[in-house]
Amino acid sequence: MNLEKVVFSFFMILALTLNFGFFYGDVGNPDHHNIYELFAVIVINLIATVLKFGDRSQLGAMLLATSLVAVAQLISASVVWTFAVHIQESGMTPTVMATIVSLSGGALLANIISVILLMMEAAMLRH
Amino acid sequence: MNMVTLIILRRMRVPFLLLIGVYSITILGMVLIPGVDDQGNTWHMGFFHAFYFVSFTATTIGFGEIPYALTEAQRLWALVTVYSTVIAWFYALGKILGLIQDKAFRNAVATNKFKNDIKAMHQPFYLICGFGETGKAVVNSLTEEHYRAVVVEKDEKNLNQLNLDELKEYVPSIVGNASEPDMLELAGIRHKMCQGVIAVTASDETNLKIAISSKLLHPEIKVACRSEFKDVEDNMLSFGTDHIVNPFESFADIFSMLIHSPSLYLIYDWLTGAPNTILSEPIYLNKGPWILCGYGRFGRELYKHLKARNIPTVIIDPDKSLKEEFDEKGEDSPFILGTGTDHKTLNRAGIVTASGIIAGSDNDSNNLSIIMTALDINPNVFVIARQNKWNNHILYSSFGKQNKAPEDPITCLIMHPREIIARKIRAYFLAPLLNNFLSLARQQDNEWSNITVSRLSAIVGDSRPHVWSVRLEQSSAPTITQALTYGRSIKISHLTQDPGNRLSKLRCVPLLLIRDKKELLLPDDELELEKGDEILFCGTYDVKNNMHWTLNVMRSLNYVMSFEDEPESYVWRLFYYLRNKSERRNNR
Repeated sequence: MNLEKVVFSFFMILALTLNFGFFYGDVGNPDHHNIYELFAVIVINLIATVLKFGDRSQLGAMLLATSLVAVAQLISASVVWTFAVHIQESGMTPTVMATIVSLSGGALLANIISVILLMMEAAMLRH
Repeated sequence: MNMVTLIILRRMRVPFLLLIGVYSITILGMVLIPGVDDQGNTWHMGFFHAFYFVSFTATTIGFGEIPYALTEAQRLWALVTVYSTVIAWFYALGKILGLIQDKAFRNAVATNKFKNDIKAMHQPFYLICGFGETGKAVVNSLTEEHYRAVVVEKDEKNLNQLNLDELKEYVPSIVGNASEPDMLELAGIRHKMCQGVIAVTASDETNLKIAISSKLLHPEIKVACRSEFKDVEDNMLSFGTDHIVNPFESFADIFSMLIHSPSLYLIYDWLTGAPNTILSEPIYLNKGPWILCGYGRFGRELYKHLKARNIPTVIIDPDKSLKEEFDEKGEDSPFILGTGTDHKTLNRAGIVTASGIIAGSDNDSNNLSIIMTALDINPNVFVIARQNKWNNHILYSSFGKQNKAPEDPITCLIMHPREIIARKIRAYFLAPLLNNFLSLARQQDNEWSNITVSRLSAIVGDSRPHVWSVRLEQSSAPTITQALTYGRSIKISHLTQDPGNRLSKLRCVPLLLIRDKKELLLPDDELELEKGDEILFCGTYDVKNNMHWTLNVMRSLNYVMSFEDEPESYVWRLFYYLRNKSERRNNR
């Protein structure tokens, strides 16, 4: 067992599960989507991205790309949140919530791809 | 992925992870710990404010306790924030600075820059392998005429000098072993602008490897090599190396030119040394025997030429086995054992009556000693010295100048390998016809050389010469080819007329004309040109630019041929046409 692989897989899967947790629920209902969960998703995704830095292989490049996509989507979601609550002061309306949740849905898709790639890599390894 | 970004990403992984970790914990803490707003109500900092607060704290900017003054609990957490984030930042900065100073990283940056430089080359360039003394001279002579060069050199110390020297063009360079094909590939041997490879490292073996790899990687490319040993040379020739320069053979050639006709030597020196030489005064050699000190690779080459011209020669060398070998061959010249650094040996060799002495050992101190002793006994002797190390340049050049006015004729000739190789290579790549000219000129007698020297010095003499060739083809001389298709007769004298003022002549001399592989030495001014002719000119640099007008602009050609200017735009053509028409009507 390789500790590096454990840590690596842990963060990638955690990124996916947290992302799913935030995404799950009624799209327009702010009560179904926790801000702390979004924060956690962003942090874990950032960590997963940095862990993927510096891998020269084709698979490594694709993994990095999926993570970058997820981070971009999630950061847009948090910017939308900040904009709605602090700058426009329109408050958390169902429309804004729906935008944020759908953005995180995109990130979820990227994370799913990422985990599928991870599984493929594991399957290709011969023991 | 780019090597540089790859290294950065890999090395910065830990600092980035640390920063993300510290940031997320402190932000979360700030959000969770309750605060009090200005009305005394309980207030929770949002993620937005928390991120703002941590960001300016971490970077030690510190805007203060905003938007509301912090409670004691928040201050406690702010302390944790300050220490943890600032330390994390310093750690990350330290890593970045360390990375910049890292040797591997610097190499990667240099390689990357070199790669980009090569990719961005849009002018023809030459690839020079080895930046020793010879390499420097070659690069200098190429950049002097605004040709681009790329340098691969093994020793970083030599390359550092490249940046200090003030070259006229930017020369991309890299530290590396040029005998490795990867290195040549990196240096752009397959680049479409790469004109030739010049292998002038100190080792024959390396030059051989470079030549082979170059011919395999890019068969059409021209390869010039330095080689000091015959067997390596033969090997190089066997796979089609285009030009091989052996410094000893080349110098022997120059020497034979000198003993054949001193004027011819002057022409050679002046034309190949371009653009840094001025035409020197003629040399006079006394008739009489020569003394050859040192019968090594250098001495043997010179002896061949002396023998061929039936000039009596005395050889001095300390090596007994060489004497035996010499006697076995049945040579009849006297061979004296000794170094030639003392009066006794030189007197025995007959220095008093000798016309010239050659100090040709591979030891600079001995050579200098030979020359000084010889000049002490016979101040009129002509000296030829082999200089082995470039550092001793000052010592050698002082011989030519001592107790003499600058206009006095040369009484010594010093063989610097670097200079000879650089000149040969320069002539080969930049003025290929020059070698044809010189070999033709060698078949002429001394009389011819004397006349040529006086003609050259009359026209271009006291200024720095420039040698260039003109090919009468659509691409290089569009006006001439067009005019020739019209059936006009164009003479060489038209080319040498000043397109700025046709009454005056450009200061240049046509040296050689090649037509259908036939060579014509010093073509006559009245010779009519044909398509495909190639002409070698010698003149000043601005003359070359002036001639460009005649070759490329129809109006200039018409002008020097005293045709009337033809209108070029539609309106003027129409106007001329109408005017001519009405004139014709009036004439009728």
